[in-house]
Amino acid sequence: MSRSRIVCAAAVLLAMPTFAAGPVVIQNATILTVTKGTFKGSVLVRDGKIVEVGEKILVPSGAKVIEATGQYLMPGIIDCHSHAAADSINESSVSVSSMVAIEDVLNPEDIAIYRAVAGGVTTANILHGSANSIGGKCSVVKMRWGKSADEMIFQGAKPGIKFALGENPKRRGNIASPNGAVPLRYPATRMGVEDVIRQAFTEARQYQSQWKAYAALVKKGESPLPPRRDLKLEPLMEVLEGKRLVHAHCYRADEILMLLRVAEEFHFRIKTLQHVLEGYKVAKEIQLHGAGASTFSDWWAYKVEAFDATPYNAAIMMRKGVLVSINSDSDELMRHLNTEAGKTQKYGGLTDDEALSLITINPARQLEIDNKVGSIEIGKDADLALFDKHPLSNFAKVQKVFIDGEIFFDRDADLAARPERDTTKKTLLERQKQQRKQPPARRPS
Amino acid sequence: MKSFALLLLAALPLAAGADDSFLLRGVTVHTISGQDIPNGSILVQDGKIMGVGLKLSPPKGIRIIEGKSLHVYPGMIDSASEVGMIEIDSIKETTDLAELGDFNPQLRTVVAVNPSSEHIPVTRANGITAVMNLPRGGMIAGQGSLMHLDGWTWEEMEILRSGAMHINFPVLSSPPASFGAGREVPFSEAKKDYDAKLRTLHEFFEQCRRYQKAKAAAFPGFQTDLKCEAMLPVLERKLPALITAVRERAVHDAVEFATQENIRIILAGVREPGKMLPDLKAKGIPVVLGRTLELPLNDDDPYDASSTLPTQFLNAGVKFAFGSFSASFSRNLPYQAANAVAFGLPYNEALKAVTINAAEIWGVAEKMGSIDEGKWADLMITDGDPLETKTQIKQLFIKGKPVDLENKHHQLYEKYSNRP
Amino acid sequence: MKKAIRSVILSAFAVFAVRAEVPSAMAITNARVVTVSGPILPRANIVMRNGLIEAVAENAPIPADAWVIDGEGLTVYPGLIDGLSTLGITDSSAIGNAGGRRGGGGGGGAGSAGAATPARGPEDRPSTTSWLRAADLIKPSDSRLETARSAGFTTSITFPTRGIFAGQGAVVNLAGNKPGQMLIASPAGQYVSLAFSASNGYPGSLLGVFAYVRQIYIDADHYRLAKEMYARNPSGISRPEYDRALEGVMESPRVLLPATRTVDIDRMIHFAAELKISPVLYGVPKGYSAAARIAKAGVPVLVSLKWPERRRDADPDTPETLEILQLRDEAPSTPMALAAAKVKFGFYSDSLEKPTDIAKAVKRAMDAGLSADDAIRAFTLNTAEIFGVADRLGSIEKGKIANLVVTKGNLFETNTKIQYVIIDGVKFQSAPETATAPAEETN
Repeated sequence: MSRSRIVCAAAVLLAMPTFAAGPVVIQNATILTVTKGTFKGSVLVRDGKIVEVGEKILVPSGAKVIEATGQYLMPGIIDCHSHAAADSINESSVSVSSMVAIEDVLNPEDIAIYRAVAGGVTTANILHGSANSIGGKCSVVKMRWGKSADEMIFQGAKPGIKFALGENPKRRGNIASPNGAVPLRYPATRMGVEDVIRQAFTEARQYQSQWKAYAALVKKGESPLPPRRDLKLEPLMEVLEGKRLVHAHCYRADEILMLLRVAEEFHFRIKTLQHVLEGYKVAKEIQLHGAGASTFSDWWAYKVEAFDATPYNAAIMMRKGVLVSINSDSDELMRHLNTEAGKTQKYGGLTDDEALSLITINPARQLEIDNKVGSIEIGKDADLALFDKHPLSNFAKVQKVFIDGEIFFDRDADLAARPERDTTKKTLLERQKQQRKQPPARRPS
Repeated sequence: MKSFALLLLAALPLAAGADDSFLLRGVTVHTISGQDIPNGSILVQDGKIMGVGLKLSPPKGIRIIEGKSLHVYPGMIDSASEVGMIEIDSIKETTDLAELGDFNPQLRTVVAVNPSSEHIPVTRANGITAVMNLPRGGMIAGQGSLMHLDGWTWEEMEILRSGAMHINFPVLSSPPASFGAGREVPFSEAKKDYDAKLRTLHEFFEQCRRYQKAKAAAFPGFQTDLKCEAMLPVLERKLPALITAVRERAVHDAVEFATQENIRIILAGVREPGKMLPDLKAKGIPVVLGRTLELPLNDDDPYDASSTLPTQFLNAGVKFAFGSFSASFSRNLPYQAANAVAFGLPYNEALKAVTINAAEIWGVAEKMGSIDEGKWADLMITDGDPLETKTQIKQLFIKGKPVDLENKHHQLYEKYSNRP
Repeated sequence: MKKAIRSVILSAFAVFAVRAEVPSAMAITNARVVTVSGPILPRANIVMRNGLIEAVAENAPIPADAWVIDGEGLTVYPGLIDGLSTLGITDSSAIGNAGGRRGGGGGGGAGSAGAATPARGPEDRPSTTSWLRAADLIKPSDSRLETARSAGFTTSITFPTRGIFAGQGAVVNLAGNKPGQMLIASPAGQYVSLAFSASNGYPGSLLGVFAYVRQIYIDADHYRLAKEMYARNPSGISRPEYDRALEGVMESPRVLLPATRTVDIDRMIHFAAELKISPVLYGVPKGYSAAARIAKAGVPVLVSLKWPERRRDADPDTPETLEILQLRDEAPSTPMALAAAKVKFGFYSDSLEKPTDIAKAVKRAMDAGLSADDAIRAFTLNTAEIFGVADRLGSIEKGKIANLVVTKGNLFETNTKIQYVIIDGVKFQSAPETATAPAEETN
């Protein structure tokens, strides 16, 4: 053996200290429960759940205590719109790509996950892109960095699907490929977008009745050939049956209204409108339909449909009774959703709790996981983010992040692991440089 | 009490003939250049700061503005911006940033700044009073202009018509930055391409130097060349070149280029200075930093690499200011500075990087960048720390004139909040 | 100049590497025999007749009609099997990614050749030639066969490799007068890649490839059922539409799936379980970190011998992440880790062709802890077992096909020379290397 291998895999992984499964107490922090007020106190975590929250709690024997005086504990941040951790996000060859699923391409090795956790995010809705009117199936994940794709899946979260309206799904209908090799793709207008959706749901209804007819025959004791399972129509049938949530990318008021009405025509509800930059114009209609709205804090002017954007959007919609969240749609913004939410205090004067709800309990409700996450309440998953300052301050940074009671980010550990990573990297670089310099093996004489 | 002061401020006349002389008192003055002055006063006459202190006696007949419990800071300066030059990113008709051709030193951004752009009131509502607008295209993109965010015309907005010559230094990268299409370019090929580009840049400088000599010698038949003419201030070291350089090698090459051509440079967008920091310090080369809220360059960089970058420059003694390199995000300049503070930059240094450092880098520190006698009254009045989102800008003065804080975004808020 | 002369001389040598005489019986005497299936015989005779091994034993009697080779000082191994290659297929439309390059991680070659109209959905069966059979495509005239034999290979599991469902592989011997003589077994399995092209219709992404593969297996189930019902009683039932894409998939006894990163390994194991297919993972440079999971799933693996390396002529200042450096450092320990976890794995040459490169690659795995026994097994019996041909290939046993490698010294050691290979009882002299000298690395 000509060289010694460094045993470094374990040591050099980004710091991921985890606790043995025992109770953990986070002590003397300012607890921002979001739903039950703010106070100085402690949280007891056991078996991944929050089991006690109070100003004074008894520390059980054997509990690991995390002293957090002067620090702020909030529920783990939930991002209702992310494309992190996905190897691929757009199947843009067709106008309806409901057959594809983010779950197939989840990549737990994407560094964006670690960076997001380091920004306090514990749960994210990973969406298909916006290239088609009806896009692919989404995955709600917990940001369990270092675990497998399977272990990232948020168990029990209702499945979702992405829709997209406006400029993005129209694009392939308007811009031909440079050499003309790829034909223009329907639709090219907002009228066409509506048509694609209505057409798809008309087919989904027919598909549904095929299966109903089949089930009826089986019930009668016959054994006919079942219909062909169609991966494109199956998720749409689930939408019709209320088993799958629709998250629709949209900008302009007219297209928002169009989608609400199409959904009503087919008797289902749009769960969330994503981006929804002109949502403030039709907040009343959104509220009446019962859709949630998940928007950017202050993005604008990057395209025509984003020119009537206003950072007051979240505040207006919230005041008009819409369930609102702030999302990232970006691996970068995802790292500081707390300060993105903070912008609603500047633009619209939201209270601390209202601002924090935009990135915690509200997105949890939009994803129908609020029974498990989104606030610091007894019985909920111990998904928590500990900040050194109030999380709505631009000067705050994350110190520790817990998912199901397990630590997935610890700033001190991250800092402590850096020198060793650097050393290992240097060693490997040097060694591989030497290897390349080695004279080629002697040729047979 | 606060609201009373506000009412007073809001009631000020805005248009022509506005009185740009007043005494602002009862405010905490954050001078930047010196200590904060609680319950202080600022005397402004004809748009200029004529006094700053604890107690100033008002000249006879001057208007007095009560600003109790509010804070005053110098207006912020975005050191790399496109405000007024691009309205909607995806619509090229609304964009005036990148010309055709490799060498366009004669281009002046100042003439393409649209004073009616929706971006101007949106940006200044967050306390930004001046921006350094930079052109984008080619290798020599043109002259950046320092602009006030107020004026009926671009002339009225203009602070420095020519503040810097923007050079998009050639980038040596293999595979090329635009990944995806095409094959990977071998390094030797990329290097050849890079060397060739660098050579053309040197040749252009050489051509301008010959022009300079010809002009000085007043050769018969000498003809004016606008491109070379525009380069003269650069060759004479009167005008700095702003060179974009991201990684250590690019920084190194840019500094070497500056030495070879004997020009004054400012670096922009540096993200990996590496071992070049002492050189930058020794040569007095300042840097315009991009966003701190940016993903790290490399997958294995520390997660906070972009946030801790400004502190690296501070510790190395290199002067830096912040730039948004954007139009629609220019308003987030203060939050960029704040993020650096969260990760270790001293608070005062963050404020300096959006005020006095910028003024010094652009050579206008005698006119702006701090609250000092003799400078323009570019002031923002806030109810708190301007680096925090929660803080509201209550009033803004540019050259002593109160500036309208209303903008498209707030108008939409008012209009649709009231939709029945 | 010197270099040019040398390569002329080397190519001259290559001319001699031709098929030798074809006697009906042959024997190697007094050689060291690595049987793989049993203990090493320090001094034994091997008797071959009609292309099969007739006897292997210390004092096996030598038939009178046998052509005898003195094995004194030589070692005999079972012929090496290249676990995944395109050897023998010369039609480039079937092997778009020449050499069966690793397909994991998406990207890569486009769909089927010259697709006229972009596919609109899975119903158009894009990038699918599942019905293609390597058995029908192989030709003994493929010039690569000789190079492979020089590296000790006697057999290849040869696949068409173009498209998502590229086609069905075959176990083939690397010599023969006619294609039919080369074939040992077919179909060996379906080669699946994750090839897509964003401008070539559906699927235009990795997402789409997964959905497409899934729909194909769903359709195959439905098709099978429809055919069965129709076969039972065609009266009153519309006949199922013949679908060669599904026929090809249904015929394949196992499916080769690409897996580069740990996440690909997990993904493919789950995908195969969901689709109820028998997977063989190929590539797996990151196998060292996932050996336990692969073992738990009981999935066999084909390990590419092309260890990840820095691109030649790469930018010396290009930042390389720690993760990439570690991958390069540890990938060669994959075989050791798989062996330790008792995963069944074989090697494949990937695009490596030169015998020295292959030997070097194996040496790196051995330096990283792979035992010589396991290394040889991964070239012989393991691969035969993975493809269900261990009853005729992969070891030196009575009754098996007479495929052997004869060396002076131990295989994969630096100074070892491959003397010749025997395929179907026919001896092939090893060709000297014809390749030019390796390029000097500068940085």
